[in-house]
Amino acid sequence: MTTAGSEYGHLDRMLEQFAVLESDDPARDGLRNQLVRGYLPVAQHIARRFSGRGEPLEDLVQVATVGLINAIDRYSPDRGSDFFSFAVPTISGEVRRHFRDLGWSMRVPRRLKDLHVSINGVVSELSQSLGRAPKPTEIAERLGIPVADVLEGLEASEAYRSSSLDEMLSSEQGSATVGELVGEADAELDRVDFQQALRPVLAELAERERTIVLLRFFGNMTQTQIAEQVGISQMHVSRLLAQTLDRLRTRLDPDTRAD
Amino acid sequence: MSDPDSPSSAEAMDGVSTVEVKTSARAALIPTIRAVVSDLAARADFDLDAISDLRMAVDETCATLVDVAAPGSTLVCIFRVYPERIEVQAEVQAKQADAVVSTETFGWRVLQTLADDVSVHHTPGSGGNGPIVEIRLDKRAADLPR
Repeated sequence: MTTAGSEYGHLDRMLEQFAVLESDDPARDGLRNQLVRGYLPVAQHIARRFSGRGEPLEDLVQVATVGLINAIDRYSPDRGSDFFSFAVPTISGEVRRHFRDLGWSMRVPRRLKDLHVSINGVVSELSQSLGRAPKPTEIAERLGIPVADVLEGLEASEAYRSSSLDEMLSSEQGSATVGELVGEADAELDRVDFQQALRPVLAELAERERTIVLLRFFGNMTQTQIAEQVGISQMHVSRLLAQTLDRLRTRLDPDTRAD
Repeated sequence: MSDPDSPSSAEAMDGVSTVEVKTSARAALIPTIRAVVSDLAARADFDLDAISDLRMAVDETCATLVDVAAPGSTLVCIFRVYPERIEVQAEVQAKQADAVVSTETFGWRVLQTLADDVSVHHTPGSGGNGPIVEIRLDKRAADLPR
């Protein structure tokens, strides 16, 4: 990877430009995309090193790409180290975390993965027509399969912790309604005693995770309603919420939690 | 309804089935406990929001109790599955005599939002033991229409 200098030389300047842009600069997205595409072979290379451990290579490439994006976002050229010595551990770390998060439950058979996809598909349809989240029996009826299969598929969904690249990359939503709803939830947060402890920790979250937490716990919305507002699936909201709560729990000082 | 996986087969004669899970009070075992409750809720045909809420509520409950638990103590979770709701009772022996679970925390807010009803109970310990801290939750199979 150290001989990569010439191959990626043209990206160095771009990285420097990118690093000094304000977070709301309109040029940011385009530059970021070019950087991600340019450095993609690095992520692919690292993903291949982790292949053969039971995870499909394409999933690993997706996770490695997420690591690459994080590396691009966080890299600052003025710290003196070159991009590769920062990016390689960041990307490998993301892939390792993927394996760790999945643990033993990652070995989900193909059949269950397909089932997960079918279930996910009808869940949003049914939520629309029912006006609430569907029950396993309703999903089974719609798919014309036994409830036992749906239960199995739902279990597999729990094992399916990683988000697809598309989901990770989906742009920060900024629709007027979501903004208003978050505003109301935020005002509600002001009224609780623990807001001083919670605010800084919430601020560390990605925009979408923060939005979901605020809407669920301070905006009085169900997961299905949030899914519709934010434009992702209920199962994805469920996963993000669980992951975020877990992170909040470790970040919030035990003393603030339990004193 | 002879299908063993059908939700109603989980009901005993009086309409309640009880599942009790005892583990060491360690964070590493919480995923096992929440897998049990989420399976119970799915088999009882809770809607997906309710299954996920209950799963997270049990996660939060157990994490809260493990935080105050005495070293080497046991976390006891009892799940009572009724036709339209699941009741959770989780308890642990606390390390400190003055251990309390505060209701002025984000964790408690999470529990109040995820469960339909939640309460915490402290019973003084006997013979130099720490107090018993117990959290009870009630979760309905579906959200009431709003």
